[in-house]
Amino acid sequence: MASTELAPGKVVAPPSRGAPPKILPDLIQRRYARLGWGFAAPALVVIGIVTIAPIVFAIFMSFEHVNVTSSGFSFTGATFSNYHLMVTSGLWQHALWWTVVYTIVTVVVELVIGTIFALVLENLTGGRGLMMALLLIPWSLITVISAELWSYIYNASFGVLDSIWPNALGTPLSATLALMVADVWKTTPFVTIIVLAGLVMIPRELFEASEVDGASSWDIFWRVTLPLLRPTIGLAVLFRALQAFGIFDLPYVLTSGGPGTSTQSLAILAYNTMFTDINFGPGAAVAVSAALLVVMMCLVFLRAFRQQVGKEEVPA
Amino acid sequence: MSMRIHRGWGRYFNFSTVGSFIIALFVIVPLYWMVASSFKTQSNVSASPAQLFPVPVSTSSYTAAFNDGFAHFILNSVIVAVCTTTLVLFLGTLAGYALGRMPMRGKYPIMVTLLMISVFPTIAVVPALYVVMRTIGWLNTYQALIFPYTAFNLPFAIWILRNYFLGISRSMEESARIDGAGALRTLVQVIVPQVTPGIFTAGVFTFTACWTEFLMALSFDFGKKTIPVGIASFGAQFTVPYGAYFAASVLSVIPVAALVLIFRKAVVSGLTAGAVKG
Repeated sequence: MASTELAPGKVVAPPSRGAPPKILPDLIQRRYARLGWGFAAPALVVIGIVTIAPIVFAIFMSFEHVNVTSSGFSFTGATFSNYHLMVTSGLWQHALWWTVVYTIVTVVVELVIGTIFALVLENLTGGRGLMMALLLIPWSLITVISAELWSYIYNASFGVLDSIWPNALGTPLSATLALMVADVWKTTPFVTIIVLAGLVMIPRELFEASEVDGASSWDIFWRVTLPLLRPTIGLAVLFRALQAFGIFDLPYVLTSGGPGTSTQSLAILAYNTMFTDINFGPGAAVAVSAALLVVMMCLVFLRAFRQQVGKEEVPA
Repeated sequence: MSMRIHRGWGRYFNFSTVGSFIIALFVIVPLYWMVASSFKTQSNVSASPAQLFPVPVSTSSYTAAFNDGFAHFILNSVIVAVCTTTLVLFLGTLAGYALGRMPMRGKYPIMVTLLMISVFPTIAVVPALYVVMRTIGWLNTYQALIFPYTAFNLPFAIWILRNYFLGISRSMEESARIDGAGALRTLVQVIVPQVTPGIFTAGVFTFTACWTEFLMALSFDFGKKTIPVGIASFGAQFTVPYGAYFAASVLSVIPVAALVLIFRKAVVSGLTAGAVKG
């Protein structure tokens, strides 16, 4: 084969002799590029088939009359009625607002508590490894299990919290707060670990210098620590918020979206429309609306995504 | 001035020790409640006021969980998680290597796209995948979960592995090539051993994600329940078998908690390097 002539070993010229002939590296570059595409192709194809193609197909479904048949589905004609139904239904509007508010509140609360926890752990001299191990347990817990656990804790007849917080799941506001507490318990440890990693990377000298200059701990936190943490935290918060937007497991199990439909997230609304009401057109429309909002947020924060990719890029 | 006072107080109460104790309580108390309740008798689980300690200790909830088919749920979860993790590590290593080391044009937009896919809401793919799977008869099969789980976990695995591939020196791979090893052999024998921490990280994350995933398992595999779907479907209409929930919960937490604690360093590095997995 001709390409063996171009094996890289034969063209690696000692640097002292100057640049190697231009044409050969170019061919090798191209050969490696092709090889690279070959290596990456299986993964990219799987990702494309299971994530990107279904979203495109869901967009198509959301503009069709979808009927469930005994063996599969039939699509009978284009329509805007799914979106019309969705936009005019109070359920969608409520689910949208609920999801947005829930996401913002939980992410902010988790960030504040997580930062406080990280500051505490950063000063801990011994046993930090043990604390990290402990923090990883809620993170690795199945969300359904955590939801069952909190539903037991909140239970109106024998829940251990019922004497302090009676009927926690009984009203829309209280149920939302109860969900937030469960969410904060499970996710704050994750935020703590991220913030702690950011804290540890700040050079000690900066704190010492500020102390020598007579800054109070409060000043140091607001003027040194926080600004330096901002890039780490900002990115973690962005990702966390975008993922939290798809929330399904916790309210589905803990409140079943109730009382009534008051704690229904967009994902639960889409799921129930498809699998409880057997109404796949409008269900696809709701799912597409959730996806589009996430895509829009991604595009708004495109710079952050690109920085994240670029910052580890080491020039070859 | 004020700082000195704080420090004095800090020395007295040892701020970080007390704080850490509070953090530990924050994490442990609900977990304790789960474990304790799993060992209560059927009637004591719903005792009011609640029993703080399981007296007498009973394993009847564990028996109840297994009577509700918990062994099947474990088997289903293990099959799905192991197959997915194997596929993700295989495909992810190849792709991570290519995107990290090969001079491909367009790998930059691919990485950005992968990063975005990793935050995509699962519900967005459920309608179409359900339609396709029902049409080709894949509902209630293992592959109905293995394929989507592979696709959803690959972006993060590629991300993590690519960062490790970027970090290793080029000289070893170059000398392997000079010795005449092909690209694939170089990858397997020279490069992969250097990124084992990254492979552990990607593996633990993928396994944990498969073990905990609920929405797709509920939608596509209600006949072959994995642990989350199985636990959620315990009991009859009007009884909530908390004892069985918690027995099953304790048992299903153990393998993943063990995995996460053994590979603690890998997990923490994954959480902080990418910071993309919630």
